[in-house]
Amino acid sequence: MEYIVETNKLTKRFGKEYAVEAVDLRIPKGEIYGFLGPNGAGKTTTIRMLLGLMEPTLGNIKVFGKDLKRERIGILKKVGSLVENPSYYPHLTAYENLETIRKIYGVPKKRIADVLEIVRLSEVTNKKVKGFSLGMKQRLGIASSLLNKPELLILDEPTNGLDPSGIIEIRNLIKRLSKEEGMTILISSHLLSEIDQIADHVGVISKGKMIFQDTIDVMRRQSQKKISLKVNDYERANRILISNGMKADFSIDSITLPEHHDEDIANIVRVLVENNISVYRIEEEKRSLESTFLQMTAEERGL
Amino acid sequence: MIGKLIRTDFMKIRRKGIWFLTVLGPFGVVALQMVNYGLRKDWFIQQDIYSWFYYIRNVIAFTPFALILGIVILTSFMASIENETNAWKQVIALPVTKWGVYLSKYTTLAILLVVSTCLLTLFSLGFGMFLGLDGGIPYLDLIKYCFYTFFASLPVLGLQLWVALVSKNQGIPITLGIFGVILSYMAYFLPDWLIWKWPSLDNQWDEPIINVCLGLAVGLAIYLVGMIDFMRRDVK
Repeated sequence: MEYIVETNKLTKRFGKEYAVEAVDLRIPKGEIYGFLGPNGAGKTTTIRMLLGLMEPTLGNIKVFGKDLKRERIGILKKVGSLVENPSYYPHLTAYENLETIRKIYGVPKKRIADVLEIVRLSEVTNKKVKGFSLGMKQRLGIASSLLNKPELLILDEPTNGLDPSGIIEIRNLIKRLSKEEGMTILISSHLLSEIDQIADHVGVISKGKMIFQDTIDVMRRQSQKKISLKVNDYERANRILISNGMKADFSIDSITLPEHHDEDIANIVRVLVENNISVYRIEEEKRSLESTFLQMTAEERGL
Repeated sequence: MIGKLIRTDFMKIRRKGIWFLTVLGPFGVVALQMVNYGLRKDWFIQQDIYSWFYYIRNVIAFTPFALILGIVILTSFMASIENETNAWKQVIALPVTKWGVYLSKYTTLAILLVVSTCLLTLFSLGFGMFLGLDGGIPYLDLIKYCFYTFFASLPVLGLQLWVALVSKNQGIPITLGIFGVILSYMAYFLPDWLIWKWPSLDNQWDEPIINVCLGLAVGLAIYLVGMIDFMRRDVK
């Protein structure tokens, strides 16, 4: 697989504390990569290092297959970013704010109107940013990250402070950019629900360490639904199910079935009842992706 | 790249009152002479010092004070534009070098101060002509003394910019700046090695050009130290 971003044992130490420790980030080309972790896990620090804002204590970073340290400027020409809270100049208008960035990239002036259109801020082009709502400022930040038609877009918590409709809007925008422009997108969040719906790949970071990195499908498989049964006699129920060739996990006080068709569950229950087993409860244990994520990060924290 | 950065820096100072201050500074210095000569014209004539030579002396007596105050305010303004919403992270994530960003800020301020200095020369010339001072107009001396003061204050510019750009808390450069202004006000009593004395063009050898040379050399040194420190720092 071709990786757009590849870090090797990326480490950042502040004093004695390791904010990021030996992280091997792999972002495949053309994919949306969700970078997940609780607040303070090291997401923003990692992203700052990817943009050359911070110098790694150890390890190296390759973007577009080039070493970031040596070819920073060449790389950054093809990268768009929005780090944490949007930065802007409140005394300037939306247009002027983008113009200060456009000048550096040297892209045509027309691009400013284009990106304002993309984030639906065309109507406030000549209004001072001072009076913008947080959502509008955030969208302006996204607009500036798109000015240079980046090949890699890095968005750090882009939906922070947005209302639900704003969140959906940004989500759709990200999907569209990925599909239509073929951009590789790194999006960080502390909310799984945000990543879940758009990302192809996920990396979970906790306490500075990468604890999971794979496709979202693999993560989903780890968090499937289970059906648990409570009955009066587990020993006998166990034997009956085995002799009927039905798969289940047994313990002293429960029977758990991996996800089945409704019909299979009905069959299992019927067999048990016909053999005079009292079935007290049939429960669906929903282990959502969210709880898998929580469990991953909680284990790491030792809570 | 530097050209582009400087142009964006000039865009960023729009509507911040920075241009107003650039004009107000030299105007203020000449306005003080308006008061001075308005009130004491007769006395000057009586003392036989109603001449261009003494007029220029009077003008440059107040210039260091105004110039250093201007440097403190402008550098802090400049830093606050980027600090306000931590726009540093946006600027440095653009395809630009950190030294380029620093040099651009320095150059922008230097240009503003040169404009101020030119205005000071013009305003002084204008008011001097209005007064009808004795003797021919010493154009060269006027230009020389105005720009000497500017060159001699470059170390202060370098120091203030450095401190302002690396401080999250603008109270630090402002405090330093106020001390600087006070020191420059009592330049006469200061030892020659203090950078705040230099803009007064006063030294034990009575050679203003020494202050200019020191200003340029030490100004460059402080600029380099500040830039290297700025490059070394992580952007938070």
